[in-house]
Amino acid sequence: MSPDYTGLFQALRPETSLLFGALVALGLDLSLFRRHTSGERLNLALWIGALAVLAAGAHVWFGPHGPIFGGVLILDPLAVATRLGVLALTLLTLGVATAARTPRNPAEYVAIILFATTGFMLMAAAQQLLLAFLALELASLSLYVLAGFDKTRPESAEAALKYFLFGGMAAAFLLFGFSLIYGLTGSIELLEIARQLTLQGLSPLLVVALVMVLVAFGFKAAAAPFHLWAPDVYEGAPTPSAAFIASASKLAGFTLFARLLWPGLRAAAGNVSTLHGAPGWLPAVAVISAVSLLLGNFAALAQTNVRRLLAYSAIAHAGALLLGVIAAGRSGPAPFFFYAATYGLATVGAFGVLAVVERTGSCQKITDLAGLHRRSPLLAGCLAIFMLSLAGIPPLAGFFGKFTVFAAALQLGGLAGPAGWLAFLAIALSALALYYYLIVLKQALVAPPTANASRIVVPTLARFTLMAAAGLIVLFGVAPSLLLDLF
Amino acid sequence: MKMTLSAQHLWLIPALPLLAAALGALTPRSGRTPAAGAAIGAMVLSFLLSCGALATALAHPAAHATANFTWFAVGDGAVRLGWLLDPLTAFMCVMVSFVSTLIFIFSLGYMKDDANFKQFFCFLSLFAAAMLGILVANSLLLLFVSWELVGLASYLLIGFWFHKPEAAAAAKKAFIVTRIGDLGFLLGILWLYDSTGSLLFYDNGAGVLEPTALGGLAAQTTLCGLALSTAIGLLIFCGAAGKSGQFPLHVWLPDAMEGPTPVSALIHAATMVAAGVFLIARVYPLMAADQLLAGVPVHALTVVAFIGAITALLGALIAVAQNDIKRVLAFSTVSQLGYMMLALGVGSWVAAVFHLLTHAFFKALLFLGAGSVIHAAHHEQDIRKLGGLSQPLRVTFATFAIGMMALAGVPFLFSGFWSKEAILHAAHEWEVSHLPLFAGLAAVVLTAFYMTRLVAETFFGKARSHAAEHVHENSAVMTVPLVLLAVCAIALGFLGTPAFPWLQARLLGETEVHGHSLLDGSGLMLGSIVLVALGLGAGWAVYWRTPRAKDTSPDPLASAAPATIAFLGARMKFDELYAATLGRLNTFLAAFADFLDHWVWGGAVNFLALLGEFSGTVNREADEGGLNAGFDATSEKLRQTGQAYSHAQTGGTHGYLRTVAIGFVVLVLLVMLGGGR
Repeated sequence: MSPDYTGLFQALRPETSLLFGALVALGLDLSLFRRHTSGERLNLALWIGALAVLAAGAHVWFGPHGPIFGGVLILDPLAVATRLGVLALTLLTLGVATAARTPRNPAEYVAIILFATTGFMLMAAAQQLLLAFLALELASLSLYVLAGFDKTRPESAEAALKYFLFGGMAAAFLLFGFSLIYGLTGSIELLEIARQLTLQGLSPLLVVALVMVLVAFGFKAAAAPFHLWAPDVYEGAPTPSAAFIASASKLAGFTLFARLLWPGLRAAAGNVSTLHGAPGWLPAVAVISAVSLLLGNFAALAQTNVRRLLAYSAIAHAGALLLGVIAAGRSGPAPFFFYAATYGLATVGAFGVLAVVERTGSCQKITDLAGLHRRSPLLAGCLAIFMLSLAGIPPLAGFFGKFTVFAAALQLGGLAGPAGWLAFLAIALSALALYYYLIVLKQALVAPPTANASRIVVPTLARFTLMAAAGLIVLFGVAPSLLLDLF
Repeated sequence: MKMTLSAQHLWLIPALPLLAAALGALTPRSGRTPAAGAAIGAMVLSFLLSCGALATALAHPAAHATANFTWFAVGDGAVRLGWLLDPLTAFMCVMVSFVSTLIFIFSLGYMKDDANFKQFFCFLSLFAAAMLGILVANSLLLLFVSWELVGLASYLLIGFWFHKPEAAAAAKKAFIVTRIGDLGFLLGILWLYDSTGSLLFYDNGAGVLEPTALGGLAAQTTLCGLALSTAIGLLIFCGAAGKSGQFPLHVWLPDAMEGPTPVSALIHAATMVAAGVFLIARVYPLMAADQLLAGVPVHALTVVAFIGAITALLGALIAVAQNDIKRVLAFSTVSQLGYMMLALGVGSWVAAVFHLLTHAFFKALLFLGAGSVIHAAHHEQDIRKLGGLSQPLRVTFATFAIGMMALAGVPFLFSGFWSKEAILHAAHEWEVSHLPLFAGLAAVVLTAFYMTRLVAETFFGKARSHAAEHVHENSAVMTVPLVLLAVCAIALGFLGTPAFPWLQARLLGETEVHGHSLLDGSGLMLGSIVLVALGLGAGWAVYWRTPRAKDTSPDPLASAAPATIAFLGARMKFDELYAATLGRLNTFLAAFADFLDHWVWGGAVNFLALLGEFSGTVNREADEGGLNAGFDATSEKLRQTGQAYSHAQTGGTHGYLRTVAIGFVVLVLLVMLGGGR
């Protein structure tokens, strides 16, 4: 089959829009707007970025579907939904960036966000190991820069360095795993790999390759025991970067690895539906999931720093999401996609609230949120929606995400096997999780403000962003079919 | 084609007030005009849409036009919701939106001095949205959601003056008592879903009110030999009985009069309390599915008929001995709702709906009239302290008198007569028993009697308190709704006279009206006219002829039979009875639950905490410490566990990377060893 470059070009129009937007933002900033204040330059770059994201969204919506370029890319419902989700989360991140402290090189900041988004878009659709790795690296390298963008604060630099070291090691594992898989099957096409693996069965070498892929997955998902970067990065990175790392990056990562694992490595999946299931990567994912759930939830209880709390809660959510990936073999990708997308919305929103609060001073400790209901009722109300959605309280989207994932996991084999027990554990730990989310809300909604706390003025765009995120959470909670029908 | 279009857009009717409620919630406290304007504007639009829906429904009265959609799907099952347009929905929507509009306008005047004016309109809009939601729902689930929302709105509005302890207590009581009924309702819904796999009323043959499902429900027997449909029907009736103040769950309704009077008129007289009647009328095919079965211990509708008859008589008896103008009307509402249930039970759901519609207008009229009196008389509600108001409050008096005659069933001119007559006629034709008929006839006398007493005490004689001496007629914003409602209280009866029962025919889905001669069953009609005259005459003889002289002078009836009147005045001691039995039981159960919580669950949670603590020592040495009872200590334990974990987070990158390597090795070994099995 001759390469179909026209088709490829058409399929990559969203990525092209993003790159074009990034270059225009950089170009204008360096030429016409060089002498303007950094606030104006940030606004210009953000508007260009938002337009590029919207254009990309339109291209995704109206663009082609199905396998592209001989199956290097696949634009199936999961890819389209993830791409739209990533773009929406990027848009919200840009909105959050309007409220945060202005970075020193605003156009570069926005351009790098757009580069990362390009990486996510390719991750969502990649069906070939090489492209998957390149997309992942494009996204990861951009995220390292974003984490360390605030050069005035040592914490930011520390976060970036840790993230980079960790990410580099994970990338090395992943590449090693990929090369082993290539060695075993002679192909980098997922479908061909799948066909070869059904013939071969599970060999020790394949086990090593699988676990190496899982290590990289664990890093991307911030799942224990590969989570250690997360609290430091969430704490040190500039707020919009942290929001971006916690939301869009996670959604794209889960889609990429679910695609690698289920269609690609299905033959080596094993079984966790019953007690004496077959070996494979599923038991390993189940262990990672259990450890993440336990560690994330328990460690979050002890946090006094609200960002570290969000980081540990992210680890716990990664555990639940891995449960969704386990169940995706039977129930399809809809449950974990719904969970990841709505989790991303709530996380972007929560970081957005922190970004606005930071305008009046530091916002690291949970007690920094004291009296938020007095200082800004809007922020307190939005924070309540985000936190309660993270905790899984109906009628917010977080509840339905948990519900679909747990229901899908329980359908695997009831309580007869580890998958069912994991669902049970996750449900029990959700009760625990409510405690630490409520600690944050107690400060925001009940505690009186400190003596010198002033009223917080929320910038218009940030207000709009937060209300949009909160509105979407309520909407998807009340009408989950809007998202689930994408599949 | 036009029909389905209308059913699809039916959601607009409740959506508009809901939007107004949301806007009201977002406006600042000072935004009185926008909040009230949005509420009234939305209600007017809803009313116009309802009229449109009525026109569509009347064009094809036999059809149940539905618009169903999937709310969400889980696994193989899906939860479906939908809207339903038939004459029952349409008539009810028109009534609710019309009465609501008038009462909203009346509230402009009644609540104008209240600091929480804007909140009031927000709550009223929420209530109207939920009520209209009940009416347009084609799914028992959607109906239940709206049902609970009206319960919430009712709670908020009864307790609107929450600074008064009685109002707060009344709101709580209403919420809890109706919740008891709703528990049965919810169980019924779950059972129905379990048995039929659907909660849609009509779904092209697959709905629960359609023959396939009904046949299956009636064919199965369950507990005590009841047909499944009977059991589910009775559970659903629990909810209806709670909401509609039926014996033995009627105790909350009189207390609900602590709310502002427009609330009493809208929610606790015209609309929400009638929702129970509407619910039974809506699921009537389910309730009646067991009618043809022989050998079952009881039919669902028989229970409904007897509960209705008891409530009708009980409410009328207690109303005789009440002294608060709103309490008299409240117990008369209880009694009239009993009539409606009676009509449902004896098989004439159209008579019940007819009475529901007429009652909504004249009872709203009476309550707004009472509100007008109370507003004019500086919040004096005790009829012993009123009197002589017919001169200063001319409009209020004239309209109140029309409402009173409609309620008392004064023949021919007033709507209440025709609807009550339809109910008595249906009760007469019921083959099972004539006891409900006799209870209904007894209540006719009592109703005429206590309403005469109410009018005589309030409007005649001379003013018996300072508040009653200085009254002025209220502004037009309050009197115009009264006049409009009075017109309806008269005119509506002619929609359903035996000679031309247009309303009944349309509700039954017939396009042709078959009238009867007024002389058919004239014996019964004559009898009830005599009974009304008897009641009016007795009231005239006791209260009108010799008006009360002072507010402290004894009631003539109380002097004649002090023990009986005291017993009735204390509402037959139902509250005391419940406090002594159910209240005690509740206290005992609460103590028991506290014991469980403290020792059994607390112990279990502490045990779990201990496990968590133990696992924390994998990273650090174990904390020592004993177990204390209670959740506070538990939380502290869990926090300590978390700290044990987070101490592993040292910040050193070497350590981090080493952890990754260890994790990798452990996972490889795990999968390998798993492979050896």
